[in-house]
Amino acid sequence: MQEIFNIFIKSIFIDNMVFAYFLGMCSYLAVSKTVDTSFGLGLAVTFVLGITVPVDYLLNEYVLKAGALAWLDPEFADVDLSFLSFILFIAIIASMVQLVEMVVEKFSPALYASLGIFLPLIAVNCAILGGSLFMQERDYQSLAQATSFGLGSGVGFFLAIVGIAAIREKIRYSNVPPALRRLGITFIITGLMGIAFMSFLGIKL
Amino acid sequence: MNVKKKEHEPLFSAKNLKLLKDPLSINNPITVQVLGICSALAVTAKLKPAIVMSISVMVVLAASNVVISLLRNGIPPRIRIIVQLVVIATMVILVDQVLKAFVYDISKQLSVFVGLIITNCIIMGRLEAFAMGNKPWPAFLDGIGNSLGYGIILIIVAFFRELFGSGTILGLQIVPKGFYDFGYENNGLMILPPMALITVGVIIWVQRNRNKELIEER
Amino acid sequence: MYSNGYIFRYAAIMVIVAAALLSAAAMLLKPFQDRNMAIEKMGGILTAAKISGVEKEETIAKFNKYVTDAIVVGQDGKIIESLNEGEKEDGAAFKLNMKEELYKKSKGENFELPVYKVDNNGEIIYIFPMLGTGLWGPIWGNIALADDLNTIVGVTFGHKGETPGLGAEITTPEFTEQFIGKQIFDANNKFTSIMVVKGGAKILPQKQQIHGVDAISGGTITSNGVNDMLNNVLESYLPYIEKQKKDER
Repeated sequence: MQEIFNIFIKSIFIDNMVFAYFLGMCSYLAVSKTVDTSFGLGLAVTFVLGITVPVDYLLNEYVLKAGALAWLDPEFADVDLSFLSFILFIAIIASMVQLVEMVVEKFSPALYASLGIFLPLIAVNCAILGGSLFMQERDYQSLAQATSFGLGSGVGFFLAIVGIAAIREKIRYSNVPPALRRLGITFIITGLMGIAFMSFLGIKL
Repeated sequence: MNVKKKEHEPLFSAKNLKLLKDPLSINNPITVQVLGICSALAVTAKLKPAIVMSISVMVVLAASNVVISLLRNGIPPRIRIIVQLVVIATMVILVDQVLKAFVYDISKQLSVFVGLIITNCIIMGRLEAFAMGNKPWPAFLDGIGNSLGYGIILIIVAFFRELFGSGTILGLQIVPKGFYDFGYENNGLMILPPMALITVGVIIWVQRNRNKELIEER
Repeated sequence: MYSNGYIFRYAAIMVIVAAALLSAAAMLLKPFQDRNMAIEKMGGILTAAKISGVEKEETIAKFNKYVTDAIVVGQDGKIIESLNEGEKEDGAAFKLNMKEELYKKSKGENFELPVYKVDNNGEIIYIFPMLGTGLWGPIWGNIALADDLNTIVGVTFGHKGETPGLGAEITTPEFTEQFIGKQIFDANNKFTSIMVVKGGAKILPQKQQIHGVDAISGGTITSNGVNDMLNNVLESYLPYIEKQKKDER
């Protein structure tokens, strides 16, 4: 139980998807104009990560890994399908994203309108494929651990994007050089936040 | 370039040329459309990987733009994301597998980028925004243009990061040895990923100063 | 505008085409890829032992010539299989799956590891393959010890996807050459492994400098991975190394 909690905390702060690995930058930079939309995107990413990582975990454990098909028939014990993992992970992610897109469109048209092109782009949000690949690489021992990792990474992304959106809302009242307005200054602030987050790297849990 | 004259408009009409040129400046994928940032951070610590990545993205983007543009009338909109991703992923994995079998040395350099190319939002973004609604030839040009615009930024960022971070260009020592004797040090901060963000920020600053119409409202 | 039936048919056809393409490619190309990987593995072992000029075609021949013994050792240090003649690439040592064995170790089960003995013109060198985790994926390497089983003759590292320019620098000579001449046992014959630290050996106390190398700047997680890999894998070989030392005396 403690292990699961550790993984959760670790993936929020120490292994933060945005600041430690610099994944998911595109949607992070483009959709963080206001706290409201970034709140929505953060939730969507958390939700998608929370579903895809465990699903991909099961897929990896029972279908893809070398010898994973042994439960079907001992004959398949030496079948290794891991070359399919990229495409299957991506397919799972894309279908989940499409699902989220349909749900959001139905229940919150305003959010759907403001997320615009970036909802489909969650599918190529590297944080999400990264989540599944990290899960595969780190060999989590149980479904619970994988789920806690997925949710933790999502919450990490959520915090990061809401944080930058809050800064961007305030910075509108500051006197930023015209050419740096909005996008430029966001890049620079993200860089500074990234440097600050690097101090978490030393912590061992 | 001699090309078939079957088209109604010339192949390099003003409109088509615009597709090639715009992404280089006023519609740059990185600094204006904000696409493909992750890979810009991951591969720009040194110049060489930045160049390799730019070329790979160009091949993949042009090819998948054409494929999607050919398929565009048959793709059901509801599953378009999956279709697009499957096309990209299949293509990238295939290329990687073939390289791994026949030119192993090149594949070793490239395999690092396979995951990055599949999730590069430039590719997905251009498929969604352009190839889904245009004929193959303009889609091809759009692919080339956008990947050039992407590559230029990558190369500029990598140039500065390698020069100041390691004192080298393409692995060759550029900063004279004498400088180090006078207490010059390579700036280790430059090769950390956050500095790539800040460098891109500065590039945006310079670009928008020269091109006022890109300046955003408050 | 599109019926559900059409969508399903479209998706099914697309999935079948993509899967067929990829599986066909994977199956057809596997022998070539396996051969390339085997050659790379041999090249790594030979390079660690400072045998230069390993070109693609010669690698297999050179491997069979220079490697005098391909050994499988158990976790208690006992030699389980020793192949000292013929084609070493067909031996159990070369085919051993390190990942599985180290996984067995982490679960506390019995495991086996490969060791290679190289005779480089009279100089006996022991090579220990390693496997660990970097930032983005697996990292691996070979560490070559002189016949005192203490001094490092050479190392090689490889990785699947470390960041170019940062973590990926572990494969460069600038990094690997630091290891040459370092020792894995201290003056009291206690196992200390090799420490990969920021700032290099010079920031360590005088006595420990022989065990330290400089980490990659900007590649902290990969450097830590190398450090852990050295520690973890050399420790697994320790019973064999101790035993071998005793036998020599």
